[in-house]
Amino acid sequence: MRRLALLATTLLSAAAACFAAAPLPYQAPRTSWGDPVIEGVYTNNTNVPFERPAKLGNKAVYTAAEYAKRRNARAVVETTTVVTDVHYETADFGLDPDQSAMVTNPRTSILTQPANGRMPPLRPDAKARSDAARARQQEHAFDSAQDRPLQERCLLWAHEGPPLRPVGYNTLVRIAQSPGFVVLMTEMVHDARVIPIAKSRPDFGGLPRWQGNSWGHWEGQTLVIETTGISGKVNPRGSAVPMGPDGKVIEKITPTGPKTVRYEFLVSDPTLWDVSWGGEFPMEITDDPLLEYACHEGNYGLPNTLRGVREEEKARGRTR
Amino acid sequence: MMPTRSPLVAMRAALALLLLAAGVPARGSDVPRTAAGHPDLNGVWQVLNEANWDLEPHVATQGAVETLGAIGAVAPGVGVVEGGRIPYLPTALPQRDANREHRRTEDPEAKCYLPGVPRATYLPHPFQIVQSDTDVLIVYQFAGAVRAIAMAGHRDAPVDSWMGWSNGRWEGDTLVVDVTGLNANWLDRSGNYASETRRVTERYTPVDANHVRYEATIEDPAVFSRPWTIRMPLYRRLEPDARLMDFKCVEFAEELMYGDLRRKEAP
Amino acid sequence: MVLLAATGSTGAIAHHSFAAEFDIDKPVDFRGKVIKVELINPHSWIHLEVTAADGSKETWMIEGGSPNQLLRKGFTKNSLPIGTELQVVGYQARDGAKRAVGRTLKLANGQSLFFETTPIPEPSR
Repeated sequence: MRRLALLATTLLSAAAACFAAAPLPYQAPRTSWGDPVIEGVYTNNTNVPFERPAKLGNKAVYTAAEYAKRRNARAVVETTTVVTDVHYETADFGLDPDQSAMVTNPRTSILTQPANGRMPPLRPDAKARSDAARARQQEHAFDSAQDRPLQERCLLWAHEGPPLRPVGYNTLVRIAQSPGFVVLMTEMVHDARVIPIAKSRPDFGGLPRWQGNSWGHWEGQTLVIETTGISGKVNPRGSAVPMGPDGKVIEKITPTGPKTVRYEFLVSDPTLWDVSWGGEFPMEITDDPLLEYACHEGNYGLPNTLRGVREEEKARGRTR
Repeated sequence: MMPTRSPLVAMRAALALLLLAAGVPARGSDVPRTAAGHPDLNGVWQVLNEANWDLEPHVATQGAVETLGAIGAVAPGVGVVEGGRIPYLPTALPQRDANREHRRTEDPEAKCYLPGVPRATYLPHPFQIVQSDTDVLIVYQFAGAVRAIAMAGHRDAPVDSWMGWSNGRWEGDTLVVDVTGLNANWLDRSGNYASETRRVTERYTPVDANHVRYEATIEDPAVFSRPWTIRMPLYRRLEPDARLMDFKCVEFAEELMYGDLRRKEAP
Repeated sequence: MVLLAATGSTGAIAHHSFAAEFDIDKPVDFRGKVIKVELINPHSWIHLEVTAADGSKETWMIEGGSPNQLLRKGFTKNSLPIGTELQVVGYQARDGAKRAVGRTLKLANGQSLFFETTPIPEPSR
């Protein structure tokens, strides 16, 4: 009898300790129509690399001590330029990530899936197609404006997604809400994804879109967005060929505090990868305004680049 | 003998017109409202007029590209300018005429430039108003143009931009938006234009659940002798699947803008 | 100051637009007076009036970065007044136009135009 009482007391204490230790998840305020409030202008500036350094293996999160040391480490910026290249100095314009506030994030990489935090390889057949496409593209890389990358043409930038990812500078995201809709847009290049909230996938008429056809629904406080039908003009990360008809991106946005959300993503396409890849990063409301990044209207660089190549060809006698 | 309408019907119609002119929603209207009591402007909207061809009253004329035949021709319009004509300063008219002459290559719309305010409103494309309890965002199908209307914390434009800097407030049931910091831009396909010193005041007044009365007053002492106003209805797109689609027109403008820089093989 | 002479180059064009737009073998180093500032994207442009050695004046366009972060830090369209003298070290456009990417931008007193940065290593090929 005494043993039973002891056991009961132990169990009750353990239960109490569990409940005391587990903090209640953040309860976001609600819009007047009942959706969790996630609207605002956010920054996702970070020094966390997209892919995990290979030497870290499957280590997904730094310890508190390790993070304290590296939270101010220089960001590794994904870009085709190197600072010693023929380029302006990004820091002169405040465009280094380290020159702007970063969102707290003790992760070792944005990618969390696969477990090693690195992109899965393309399927062998997809890699063959991709390599061939890349070779063709490079043969004609400067033939015309239409042969330049989407980014240089100011059509679509890779970080706009889906999925979103931090982009090194001007890395702001606006979330807007109204009854039945959520809008996601990045500063660069002002593309706004108007996402209907629905009980099931709406009929998009079989029509692709540059950023796919998205629809969302709330699971508790998490907005779950599914995107399919990404246009064949867009190639996903690591591939020079587009997604197939079963390509899909799932995004999840969950408020985690009065000024923060967690953004998660999962990308899958059985024609390109044998496994899905995905990850997460936090975003934090910023007092800074999101400014217009008009791109195409000021894109002197594109015709100047083509002009330069045409001059070189003329000098070498390769064109009329 | 012609049948006549009952006097009561005529009076009711006159009253509705008076109220419409005064910017007051007709009595008994079903303008949806937000929890805060303001008109709910959420939805997909579009104009039904020829303002984008030419804001002023105009007859049908040959288009800038003759090979498009009747498809490229300028549709006639009764005009949307209060008072009929845009009050250009005499010194500013030559620029308008030069614009008109070179519109095939110089119209920013042809180059897929962001259209600015108020032209974004009356392009032949829908736009969506995204209105929450606190914020208003307008997303335009044309070139993916976007405007955030600051409903609080108004500040001056930190820089000039194509879509301008918008500070909004409610005056009764009218959403009033002050737009400054706009780049110089054209106002229609006929070369009407305004400079970077312009200030635009928009007024969105719902008439009923599916119509909004839109007015825009343009003030630009560098180009016009006085402020002037355009006025037009906005119609709700009522198709059940009405939605914005992609019109990322940069790819349609590249040949026009950069075609001469294409590589030509040596003979 | 001195406009360094261009030397010919037959190096392969890298598949990278800045290297295709500007020529690493056409370095420039001069002073000029600001005549126009374009705070635009994707790159800002500063227009300078440069006085050549023989006294003739030329207009140069200098390419820089997106101004959006500068604007968020308080920079405005009036922060770089017309007439300010700038020192530019950079690379000239491949097509020979009076256009350059500004590798460093300094005020006449040697101070960095916008932000002080760490010394830039010599470019490698």
